[in-house]
Amino acid sequence: MTNVVLVGIGLLQALLLLLAAPLFSGFSRVLRAKMHSRKGPPLLQNYRDIVKLMKRQEVVSEQAGWVFLVTPYLSMSAMLLAALVIPVLTSLSPVGLAGDLIFLIYLFALPRFFFSLAGMDSGSTFGGIGARRELLISALIEPVLLLVVFVMALLAGSTNLGTISRLVGSGEFPISMAYWLSLASFAFATYVEMGKLPFDLGEAEQELQEGPLSEYSGRSLAILKWAIYLKQLVLVSIFFALFLPFGAMDRLTPFSFVLALAAFLLKAVVFYFTVGVLENAMARVRFMKAPAVTWLALGAAVLSFVFYLAKV
Amino acid sequence: MNPLSLLLISIAIYTLGAISPLLLSDTSRHARRVSGLLGLLASLTGINAFVLSRGTPTSSLVLFSIAPFGRLIIQMDALSTFLVGLISLIGAATSIYSLAQYSEKPGVLSSRLVSFFTNLFMAAMLLVVTVANAFFFLIFWELMTLISYFLVTWEYEKKEVVRAGFIYMLVAHAGAALIMLAFFLIFQRADSFDFSDLRQVSLSKGVKDLVFLLAFLGFGAKAGMVPLHFWTPDTYAAAPNHVSALMAGVMKKTAIYGILRVCIDILGVPVLWWGLLILFFGGLSTIFGAFYALSERNLKRMLAFSSVENVGIILMGIALGVIGLSVQLPALAVLGFLAALYHSLNHAFFKGLLFLGAGSVIEQVGTADLNKMGGLARRMPWTAAAFLVGALSISAIPPFNGFVSEWFTYQTLFVASQSSLIEVHAISPLFAILLAIAGAFAVMVYIKAYGGAFTGPARTEWAASAQEVTPFALVSKAYLVAGCLALGLGAPWITPLIANIAASFTGMPAISVSSGWFIYPSNVDQAVFSPPLVMLLLLSLLIVPLIIVAVYRGRQAGRRRDVEPWMCGYGYAPQMSLSATSFDQPVKVSFHWLYWLRTLVIGPYKAIASSARSTLGWVERAEPVVEKVVTRPTARLVETAGLWIQALQMGDIRVYCLYIIVTLAVLLIAIFGRSGL
Repeated sequence: MTNVVLVGIGLLQALLLLLAAPLFSGFSRVLRAKMHSRKGPPLLQNYRDIVKLMKRQEVVSEQAGWVFLVTPYLSMSAMLLAALVIPVLTSLSPVGLAGDLIFLIYLFALPRFFFSLAGMDSGSTFGGIGARRELLISALIEPVLLLVVFVMALLAGSTNLGTISRLVGSGEFPISMAYWLSLASFAFATYVEMGKLPFDLGEAEQELQEGPLSEYSGRSLAILKWAIYLKQLVLVSIFFALFLPFGAMDRLTPFSFVLALAAFLLKAVVFYFTVGVLENAMARVRFMKAPAVTWLALGAAVLSFVFYLAKV
Repeated sequence: MNPLSLLLISIAIYTLGAISPLLLSDTSRHARRVSGLLGLLASLTGINAFVLSRGTPTSSLVLFSIAPFGRLIIQMDALSTFLVGLISLIGAATSIYSLAQYSEKPGVLSSRLVSFFTNLFMAAMLLVVTVANAFFFLIFWELMTLISYFLVTWEYEKKEVVRAGFIYMLVAHAGAALIMLAFFLIFQRADSFDFSDLRQVSLSKGVKDLVFLLAFLGFGAKAGMVPLHFWTPDTYAAAPNHVSALMAGVMKKTAIYGILRVCIDILGVPVLWWGLLILFFGGLSTIFGAFYALSERNLKRMLAFSSVENVGIILMGIALGVIGLSVQLPALAVLGFLAALYHSLNHAFFKGLLFLGAGSVIEQVGTADLNKMGGLARRMPWTAAAFLVGALSISAIPPFNGFVSEWFTYQTLFVASQSSLIEVHAISPLFAILLAIAGAFAVMVYIKAYGGAFTGPARTEWAASAQEVTPFALVSKAYLVAGCLALGLGAPWITPLIANIAASFTGMPAISVSSGWFIYPSNVDQAVFSPPLVMLLLLSLLIVPLIIVAVYRGRQAGRRRDVEPWMCGYGYAPQMSLSATSFDQPVKVSFHWLYWLRTLVIGPYKAIASSARSTLGWVERAEPVVEKVVTRPTARLVETAGLWIQALQMGDIRVYCLYIIVTLAVLLIAIFGRSGL
C-alpha cells in the first residue's frame, strides 16, 4: 500500500472510530440496564444526547478560564491523532511516522493534563476531586502499560506499534507465557482506564473520576463526552492492535476491507460485552482501595517480564 | 573571529557588567540597567561563540602559568562548547529578566550588588566549563560556589535564608573536598594539573575506582542527586528568582559537566559497575525528586525538588552511556549521552522558564504558597501562558521538548534491554517503569503548580489584586518559550547536532538519529517519532470538533458566563475549590511507604549529627589535654572566622567585593596581556 492510501485509510478509520464510539458506549448502557432488569435507554441514545446538548445553552462558571474552554476541543483532537496512528483496519500503522507506542502512551497524558486542569479551573469542588482521582489512577496504571509495552517491544525488537502488530498478526511473534500475562495485565489496564467499576461508577461518573465534567454544559459537554467515548474505543483498539490484530488487512481490496471492518467490530462488541458483564458483576470499593487492585496488575506485568527473561 | 576569542570577550563583558554597577552612582535603576544590558551582550557573544564553533576542531589557549600549579588553559572541545552554549542561552534570558523591576528593601542586598554577583556568577560558570587545568578548575569551581552563596543569602536578615546559605556552603564544600581529593589522586601519578596530562596517566584499578567514586559523589552533591539533595529546596527557595533559575537550570549542569569530564574523559574507558551505580542513583533521584515535589505547596521548593527528578533523568542517560562505553556498544554509548545532553539543555530552558514564571507570580502575590494563589490566569494571562508551556514541556507531554529527551532515554533503555549482559538486560526495563511512575508524578506536580496558582477562583485578596508583570519579564519568558518549542518541534534538526557532540566527546563513530521530519534511535526499525508532524496533526485535527460545532451554529443558544459553580444548592465561596494541599492527598495515602522511606533515609543523617554532637561534648569533658592542644585553638579559630563571616554578612560585603574585583582585575590583565587581544 502506498503512503497516500495508508493516510487515507488512517483518516477513514479515525472518522469510523469517532462515529462508532457513542454506539459502543450506548451498547454498554443497554447491557447495564438489562443486567439491572430495567428498560434502559435505546441503543442510539448517546447520539441523541449529543445532538440535544449541541443545541442547549452553554453555562460557564465565572471562575473558569480559557483552559476550561479549550479542553473539550484539545481532548478530541488528541484522541483523533491516536486513532490515526493505531493500526485498526490495516496491519501497518497508517501514520506510523508520527510516533511509536511510547509516544502513544504519553499522548494520553495530554488530554488528561487539560481535563484535570479544567476540573480545577472550574472552581468546583467536584471538579477538583475528580481531577485528583483521575491522576492517581493514571499514576497507578501507567507503569503497568509501560512495562507491558516494553516486554512486547523486546519480543518484537521494536517499539513501533505497526511492527509489533504485523508480527503478532502473521504468527511470527512467539506466543509464550510472557505474551499471555502481558495480554492479561494490558486488558486489565484498559479496563481501568475506560473508567469502569470498581474505580468509577456508571451513570454517576460526575461524582468520581469524571468529576471535571460537572461544570460543563451545552456544546462543550457534548464534545467532551464524545471525546471520552472516543478515548475508550481508542484504548480498546490499542489492545487489539497489540495482542489480537487478527483480520487486519495487508493489501487493500474491497473484500479484505470488509473483512477487516467486520473483524474489528466483532472484536469490539465481544470486548465491550465482557467489560459490561464484569463491571456490573462488581461492587464498588472505596477509592483509596484502588492501589491494592492495581498492584495486582503491576504484579502480573512484572511476572510477564520475568517470563520474558526466562524465555518461557 | 574564532570562538575562543569570542568566549574570552564574553567573559570580559560579564566582568565589566559586574563591575560597572559598583562604579555607577547610587541610583540603582541605571546601575541595574547597565549591568543587565552588558550581561545580555555577553550572553549573545557566548551564543555566537557556540554557534561559530560548530564543526571547528578543539581549540585551546594558554593564558599564563604559575610555577607550581601549571598553566591556565582555556579550551573549547565539543563538550565545553555545548556547555558554553547552554550557559549563554539561559544567561540571555536571566539578563533580560534582571532589567525588570526590583524592589529595594532594607535587610536585602542592594540591586547593584545582586547585579554584580549575578554577572560574576555567569563568568565563573563559563570558566568552569572551559578551563583545562585541574588547579584552576577548582579555583573557578570555588569562586562559583562562593558567589552563589552570596546570592543565596541576599536577604541576609532572615534566619531561614542564612541557614539555607550555611547548609548550601557546607554541602558544596564537602563536595569540593571530594573533588579535590579525586584530582589529587591522579595528580600524584601525573605530576601535572593539565587535563591533557591527567588523561595520559594509567591508574591501577583500585585507584581508578576510588577517583571515580570521589568525583561522582563530589559532583553529585552539587548536582543535587538523592541522597545528597537536601540542600536544594531551601537554597533555591532563598535565592532571588532569576538566580534560582540560573542555579537550577545552569549551575547543576556544570556538575553534570564535571561528572562527564572527570569520570569519562579523564579516567578513560569506564567500568561496567560505574554505569550501574550511576543508574541506581539516577533512578533514585528520579522517583524521589518527583515524589517530594508533589508534596510541596511552596512553588519554588516544588520546582527545586523537580530539578532533583530531572537530574535523575540526566544521570540515567549518562549511566547508559557509561555502560555502552564499558561493554563496547557504540550506539548505546552515543544514545545515552545524547539523551543526557539533550535533557540537560531542555531542562535548562523549561526550568529557567518555570522559575522566572514563579518569580513573577511570587512578586505579585507576595508569597510562594500555592494555597494562597488561584485565578492568576485572568490577572496575568501572558505569564500564565508561558508557565503552561513550561509545565507541558517538563511534564513530558508530546510533542514538547521534555518528551523528546525522555523518549530518547526510553529508547536508550530499550537498546540496553537488548544487551546480552544479564544484569543490564534484566534491570533496564525496571528503570523504564521508574521513569514511567516519575513521569506520571511529574504530570501531577505541574497540574498542581499551574492549577493551584493560575486556575479557579482567587483564594486571597493578594491573588485577586495581582497585576501582569513588566515587559522585560515577559520578553525573557517569551524567549524561553520559543526555546522550548524550538527544542521540541525542531528535534529532527537539533538531535543530529547533539548526537555529534556526544559522539566526538566519547570518541565513538557518529550515529544517524534523524531523517527528514522524524527522529529515530540510530535504527529506524526500532522506533520513529516526529514531533513537528504530531504538532501539525494535533492542530489540524482541531478542525473536526470545530466543524461539529459549526454544523449546529444556527441552532445554538449561545453561552452564558455569569454563574457560580454548582455546590449542591449552597452558596459558593472560593475556599470551596480544591486547594493545592488537598490535591495530592490520595497520592500521599496510596504511596505512604515512599514517605516512610524518606524518614528512613534522613534518619541516619540525624543520627550522625547527634552522635557527632555528643562525641564533641564527651571529648570536651573528658580530655582536658586534648582541649588545651586541639579543641580550644580550633574553637578560637572558628570564633574568629565566625566574626569575620559575620562582618561579611552584616553589610560590610563591599570589602569582599573589592577583594574579588582586585583578583579578577589581576587575572584579566594577565589574560589579555598574554592573549594579545
